[in-house]
Amino acid sequence: MPYPASQSSSRNPHAILRRAEAAAAQLPPLMVAAQRVANTVWHGTHGRRRRGPGDTFWQFRHYQPGDPAYSIDWRQSAKSSSVFIREKEWIAAQSVWLWRDASPSMAYASNRRLTEKVERADLLTLALAALLLQAGEHVALAGEGRPPAAGHGALERMAAVLSREASLPTDAPNTPPMEPLPRYANIVLFSDFLGPMEELAATVGTTTARGVLGHLVQILDPAEESLPFAGRIRFEGMEAEGSTLINRTENVRQDYRNRLQARREQIIALAHHHGWSFTLHHTDRPPQEALLALYGAMTVPRVQW
Amino acid sequence: MLSLGPFAFAAPWALVALAGLPLLWWLLRVTPPAPKLLRFPAIRLLFGLRQDEQTPARTPLWLILLRMAIVTLVIVGLARPVLNPVDQFAAAGPLVLVVDDGWAAARGWPQRVAAMDALIARAQRAGKPVIVVTTAPPATGGPLTPSKLLTAGAARSLVQALQPKPWPVARDKALAALEDLKFDNPANVMWITDGIEDGNAKDFVNSLTFLGPVTVMDDAPGKGALALPPPGTTAGRLTGRLIRPKAGKAEAFWLRGTDERGRVLLRQRIEFTAGARTARTVLPLPSELRNRLTRLEVEGIASAGTVALLDERWRRRPVGIVTAATDKAQTRPLLSEIFYLDRALGPYAELRKGPARTLLARRLAVLVVADGSILTPPDRQAVEDWMARGGTVLRFAGPRLGQKTDSLTPVALRAGNRALGGAMSWTKPARLAPFTADSPFAGLTVPKDVVVFRQVLAQPTLDLPNRTWARLADGTPLVTAVDKGRGRLILVHTTANTEWSNLAISGLFVEILRRVVSLSQGVSGAHRRALPPVTSLDGFGRFTDPPPAAQPLAADADANAETGAPGKPGAGPARPRVGPTRPPGFYGNDTARVALNLAAGIKQLTPIGDLPAGVKTLAMTAPKETDLKAVLLAFALGLLILDLWIGLILRGLAPEFWPFLRAPGEGDAASARAALAAAMMAFAAAAALAVFAAGPAQAQGKASSVTDAQAMDATFDTRLAYVRTGDSRVDEVSRAGLIGLSQTLRTRTSVEPKAPLSVDLERDELTFFPFLYWPITAAQPLPSRAARDKLASYLRTGGMILFDTRDQGSGGLGMPEGLVPSAPRAVKLRRIVEGLQVPALIPVPRGHILTKAFYLLKTFPGRWTGGQVWVEKEAGHANDGVSSVIIGSNDFAAAWAVDGAGQPLYPVVPGGSRQREMAHRFGVNLVMYALTGNYKSDQVHVPAILERLGQ
Repeated sequence: MPYPASQSSSRNPHAILRRAEAAAAQLPPLMVAAQRVANTVWHGTHGRRRRGPGDTFWQFRHYQPGDPAYSIDWRQSAKSSSVFIREKEWIAAQSVWLWRDASPSMAYASNRRLTEKVERADLLTLALAALLLQAGEHVALAGEGRPPAAGHGALERMAAVLSREASLPTDAPNTPPMEPLPRYANIVLFSDFLGPMEELAATVGTTTARGVLGHLVQILDPAEESLPFAGRIRFEGMEAEGSTLINRTENVRQDYRNRLQARREQIIALAHHHGWSFTLHHTDRPPQEALLALYGAMTVPRVQW
Repeated sequence: MLSLGPFAFAAPWALVALAGLPLLWWLLRVTPPAPKLLRFPAIRLLFGLRQDEQTPARTPLWLILLRMAIVTLVIVGLARPVLNPVDQFAAAGPLVLVVDDGWAAARGWPQRVAAMDALIARAQRAGKPVIVVTTAPPATGGPLTPSKLLTAGAARSLVQALQPKPWPVARDKALAALEDLKFDNPANVMWITDGIEDGNAKDFVNSLTFLGPVTVMDDAPGKGALALPPPGTTAGRLTGRLIRPKAGKAEAFWLRGTDERGRVLLRQRIEFTAGARTARTVLPLPSELRNRLTRLEVEGIASAGTVALLDERWRRRPVGIVTAATDKAQTRPLLSEIFYLDRALGPYAELRKGPARTLLARRLAVLVVADGSILTPPDRQAVEDWMARGGTVLRFAGPRLGQKTDSLTPVALRAGNRALGGAMSWTKPARLAPFTADSPFAGLTVPKDVVVFRQVLAQPTLDLPNRTWARLADGTPLVTAVDKGRGRLILVHTTANTEWSNLAISGLFVEILRRVVSLSQGVSGAHRRALPPVTSLDGFGRFTDPPPAAQPLAADADANAETGAPGKPGAGPARPRVGPTRPPGFYGNDTARVALNLAAGIKQLTPIGDLPAGVKTLAMTAPKETDLKAVLLAFALGLLILDLWIGLILRGLAPEFWPFLRAPGEGDAASARAALAAAMMAFAAAAALAVFAAGPAQAQGKASSVTDAQAMDATFDTRLAYVRTGDSRVDEVSRAGLIGLSQTLRTRTSVEPKAPLSVDLERDELTFFPFLYWPITAAQPLPSRAARDKLASYLRTGGMILFDTRDQGSGGLGMPEGLVPSAPRAVKLRRIVEGLQVPALIPVPRGHILTKAFYLLKTFPGRWTGGQVWVEKEAGHANDGVSSVIIGSNDFAAAWAVDGAGQPLYPVVPGGSRQREMAHRFGVNLVMYALTGNYKSDQVHVPAILERLGQ
């Protein structure tokens, strides 16, 4: 049972936003697992269960020489003979960059009852953003050049940006732009990963080298998965790759599936090599499935230290 | 022409192209259809895929078969296949179409035209010219001439214009005309005969065979010509006779008798028994109705041969009774002979009384001279002259004749009289002897109580028994008669009153007088002037104006010689021969008309006998050949459209609105589904076409409430309008009628109405129209409350409606008692009018504006005539005294109705162009009345106004 397409076929930002929030509402707020304490990132609401800068009371301890005088809690000190210092829990926020592929190959749906891949990618991006924002994380769109932001306003702004990019430019890249990401940030890539493999490998490698952890979400149309066509067909690429004539499509179906599987294993290997996660999603499945898988991948700390 | 069972090909060479089909098969097979075009994101994965099988893609078999079927259909269609082909013409020469177009052909005329059409179509296919030869003398009175060599188109229009003539064929003359025909090659002669022998048929066929092979086409059995001679009289009653050419199965027809206005007086079944060629029936008509009978016809057969026209000869005979100046009738009626004669003859004859010469000035059948009547010598001379011309004189004896005999008796009389019985006599009063078989009174029973006291006695002579019609028991003559010239003199040897006998008060007296009157020749023999034709019958038995060549009936032609007329059958000089110069119909003038009947004198119809060997015979009802070319090509076109769709679908170019065609998993099942969809598509297109073709008629019927455009359309020009009744035939008549009236108005008056509109009372606005024509049908729905209010307001504010019950022909509104409540349409009209607050109605009074609005009119005929036209009684000051409702029953629209060529659509009854003209004049007056109101009545005061202005 393919997932029904949106009622409004246009990629109306509000419609997508509504549906994204609806999809996100079925999951508890996503707190990106704090893999590593970073003191350089923007403030967030993660209690780090250790003392540090923050708003919440953590503990009192005896004054030791070297502590700044302004940190003395005079009320507590007056109750006894010693001098106490009030310590607070360290609170830090994770920032997550989201990117979805806007290349023309994403604007494909093999069936009118299916959504286009790019539409599904938008939906997942925003749903994930909604989840993250609920959890107080900071979210930004990769390639937009703006710092991560929090709050519902950020979600709406993202929705507007996504719909502004709706007219997929034919020269849109297959990989996210190489902008400098802060260390220990998270990045989530939504794409069909049908572009050149080398570009993807380069992107993942570079990003990982900066200490950024990533998640790959491959969104495919069911027809791309199974090649259901038969007979004499001239296939034409959507990004000016050229065309090829296949006399009996049904005969090459198995070869095609093998190739697709091989490529996917390549991508998974790449992801695991860099400690990234990989999620596969088909447009005929409900978006919650992908969201749930992503949720799991992002909350479980995979790297122990 | 190539024949294959019920098929044949008119252009068989086109079938050669079928040989190319295998080549086409191979070409289609090796040329694959264009590949489907598909945009696919994962194309990188498809590049360089090894394709195991390199077998070239081929067109699927079913598609090849479809395309082969299209080509085959086109080729076969171009070969012009014909279903049920008729045999090829045998000879090389032209087609000579010999058509009997006399009266006998009228019954099967549509079949004849169809047969001629089919023959011409065959000639056209064979490329042969056509010559059309008719055998009845043309109406112009000119000689019979065959047509020139005609192309099929010209021949077809000539044949369509042919009409059967109301006179018999003249094959001898046609024979003479055929002698001029000479062809290089033997011609194909088709003789479409009426099947009636005229004495020349054998010669005719023989000479046709000189032209080439002859085929004779005749009516189907049982569909041949019928003849209806004018009715005769037996025992005082009219008897109709119907004659058919061949003795066949039993069959029955209905005779219909109508009066001058076309009203039906009589329907009588007449039946041929099996094997009989003549059918007879008594026409049971009371004498009053019998006198009104002017036309007798066979229902359902349109032919001049089955129409009998009746004139005064079939009516009550005028009988003159000579009265003396000093008549006792005034003082002592029971002693007057005139009284008894009057009472006895009155119910059966039209009685006139007066001096002999006065009576003879008009036409008489019988002149009765009683004993008391005094004939002066000039009178006697006049009577004798009249007898010589055919008059019948009935004389009664009496004291006066007994004293002084004169020459005006059939036998010599002894002087004095003979008294039987009485105080001084020993003889008893004599009774009557039974009538002998040769007496004209044979069959009458003699009452026992009739006795004769006195009589005049005849001189015994040798021829006395021959001259005696009735005797007394002792053998003395009571009634004697003698032929005088062409007339007859009859003497009753006793008185017409009770003085000498009680015969005058017995029923026998009445019967004897009736016999005498019916033996008389009637009145028609008396015409001394040439009688011009008044109306004539056309070949189909309809009344028309006399043809141009028609000549008056000569003075002495003595139409009474027509057999079948009561009187002396078969006697007299030759009957005027019906022909172009003497078409059947009425001759004379408006007051006295003589009927000339086509079938008069026809004793029997002889079918054409054995034809010479080698002459083929065909019935005209052979199965018609059908050209299948159009059907096949249309079918091929349909398949081509289907193929186009399939091609589009196979290439993935099917329109977006068929989503399931683009579902993933398109395999062979999907293409089959696509083919099905395409078939549905083609079917839907065809259905849409059909609906489109039928559409305008539907669309026209659905005029909704008024838009500005409609309002402007209705008001920018004056338009007549009619009320739609829901009966499409009636509505069509109304429309055609108003078109005809509009044409008349345009040509004759300054009113220039545009095409008439129809009005739906429930929906349409009425105020635009000055005049509405509303035919009443028994079935039309009553207007709703709202419509009735609308109508009432329309009438109140100056509209005018002409209600037409159209039932004058069946005795509806026009009866003197006015709105007959029982006629269904009158009932309907009454119910319609009830809600409209119509004032009291009266017949159009003398001097009403309707009679002078444009033309001066006395009557208002339509298709029927005689129906009374009703207007509002005294319209008062409302609407300026103009009657808003006019009611008639003469079916006006049918009289006005014209077809596209401006020709009248319906015959008027009783007929004639004058009635139609009067109907149009009434229409003009009506519209003038509607448009100008009482303007014309104001003209009455013009002299007074002028006078006042002058001062």
